[in-house]
Amino acid sequence: MNHSPANAERSHPGSHGGRILVIALHAFTQLVRMRVFYFLAVFAVIAIGSNFFDLPQHAGPETAGVNVLHAIKSWSLGTMTLFSVVLAIVATALLLPKDVEDRTLYTILAKPVPRLDYLAGKLLGVLLLLVVSLALMDLLLAAVLQIRTSILLGQLMDIANARGWALDEVASQRAELLTHGPNWSLQGAVVAVFLRAAIMAALALLISTFSSSTLFTSITSFLVYFAGHFQADARGVLLDSGAGGHGPVARVTGMLVALVLPDFQLFNVIDAVIEGQAMPLILLGQLAAAGLFYVVFYTLASWYIFAEKEF
Amino acid sequence: MPLEVALTGGLRAAGLFPPPLGIDTRDKIGQTSAVVALGGLRTLVASFLNLRWLTFFSERRWDDVHATFNTIVDLAPRTVYYWETGAWNQVYNAAAYYQYDSQLPPLRRSEAWRASVLRGREFLERGIRNNPGDPQLNEYLGFVLTDRHKFQAFRDPDATFAAAAAAYGIAADSGKALPKVRRFQLYALARVPGREAEALVLARSLYQNPGNRTPTLQCVCFALEVHASPGVVEPHALALSIFGSAAEARESLARYWLRVGERFPVHGVATALHALEEDLGIPPDKSIFHQAPTPPPDDE
Repeated sequence: MNHSPANAERSHPGSHGGRILVIALHAFTQLVRMRVFYFLAVFAVIAIGSNFFDLPQHAGPETAGVNVLHAIKSWSLGTMTLFSVVLAIVATALLLPKDVEDRTLYTILAKPVPRLDYLAGKLLGVLLLLVVSLALMDLLLAAVLQIRTSILLGQLMDIANARGWALDEVASQRAELLTHGPNWSLQGAVVAVFLRAAIMAALALLISTFSSSTLFTSITSFLVYFAGHFQADARGVLLDSGAGGHGPVARVTGMLVALVLPDFQLFNVIDAVIEGQAMPLILLGQLAAAGLFYVVFYTLASWYIFAEKEF
Repeated sequence: MPLEVALTGGLRAAGLFPPPLGIDTRDKIGQTSAVVALGGLRTLVASFLNLRWLTFFSERRWDDVHATFNTIVDLAPRTVYYWETGAWNQVYNAAAYYQYDSQLPPLRRSEAWRASVLRGREFLERGIRNNPGDPQLNEYLGFVLTDRHKFQAFRDPDATFAAAAAAYGIAADSGKALPKVRRFQLYALARVPGREAEALVLARSLYQNPGNRTPTLQCVCFALEVHASPGVVEPHALALSIFGSAAEARESLARYWLRVGERFPVHGVATALHALEEDLGIPPDKSIFHQAPTPPPDDE
């Protein structure tokens, strides 16, 4: 039977969206039953615990405490990155082998379900899990930051009243403090965390279509993840290296490397946000476009391999 | 990918793209941390290391504290707190340790104290180069350079006060600093020989706002006005006009006079004090000129 992408959709009546949603919800439920949300307890401990890293410093009373806001963001966003990437890779790597092991895959494919719908549904299920997990972590982070920022704002106002600061001085100090509190740039950073995890989920899905084990998929995905952080450097070296560095072969090779290994350094914008930089919406949009491109590309590549696979 | 190249440019322009991690930093933080840092968790590794310096701090291992901060700022170069804390440890904690607590012979103590202060300054200036125009770092540099217990370490006081005035100026011009920073700029500028006229313009402008009329600012204003018109301005009358009363003028100028070690301009101060003490009937044995200079309390 030929399942090639070109004619795979012909004899499958019904809505693609509906089928994908059913499979996605099933995959989501399947993952939730694996008790993945337990890690939220660990995150809560980290987010609340980071409040107590009030290290010695020389800062005056008007800026004291800002380092705690920095610590909360750093620990929490770091943990979110770690959890989301691990979750994306491991959850996706588990799904296909588990369906084969449970023989669910045969039941599904015996029905008029296009293989693309099956893959897209599985991926969407993992992405749904990531969205829910990150939303819960984001909520907790925002709450902890909000409480701490309010305390610091109260202290700032006390100092301002005691020293008789002018209104514009108070406004300037308040605005400076708020750049370290919960704001839209922080939400942008959480979106960047999600995009990186989404790419990893799509990549793990691609690897799992030809991999023979969950372990192989996970290890290879993690390797690609780390290699992706060197991609831009490696490509730069290739293009700038002596003979032929600027030739068409080098450029095509560079493009292929970029296609296989996403430039994950782009998603390190979270570091700058933790350090108090603002994230323009346009850049977040471009980052989302880059993320979407990789997710779609890996999903289509997965389909291409999976469509030819015999079970 | 063209999109990635464009995005990299955009992120770099917005200051959101982290500088590459140096090979020496990768070596210093170890293989595991390097992998974690390269995996997009640089600030998290920096936060871990930020806990480590406290151990070195409590064990008074100042070289290790400095090395740790060098690594931390390589990982998170835009976090002002790390630059400030790293500099503070060298300029104050390490320097004070070498001066008072170490087992070194006196000459070596002084050398170690100075080296530590200079190392802190160099670290802070590197922080400013990494965060150009940052008000907090510039304010802190100005503070270190004008600290009466530290500026002797920099050997050339004129250049030191000029650098402090420039740093305070950058902080004040950012619009994010408190008004005291502009006053501090004046205090530094007033101590640079040859720039008294520039300082006087700033002093007059600050004096317009009653909120700025702290005793130090009034005294600096007084000295600069006398310097600008020697023989024309009568110090006694000027003191009464600036401070409002003879008692207030004598109190503020006397305290200012005792801050000799801080190299503030004192043009006309002695003349005014003699006249004011005569006005107030202060006996010669209670005169300020019979008191040993003692450090007065700080004021802003």
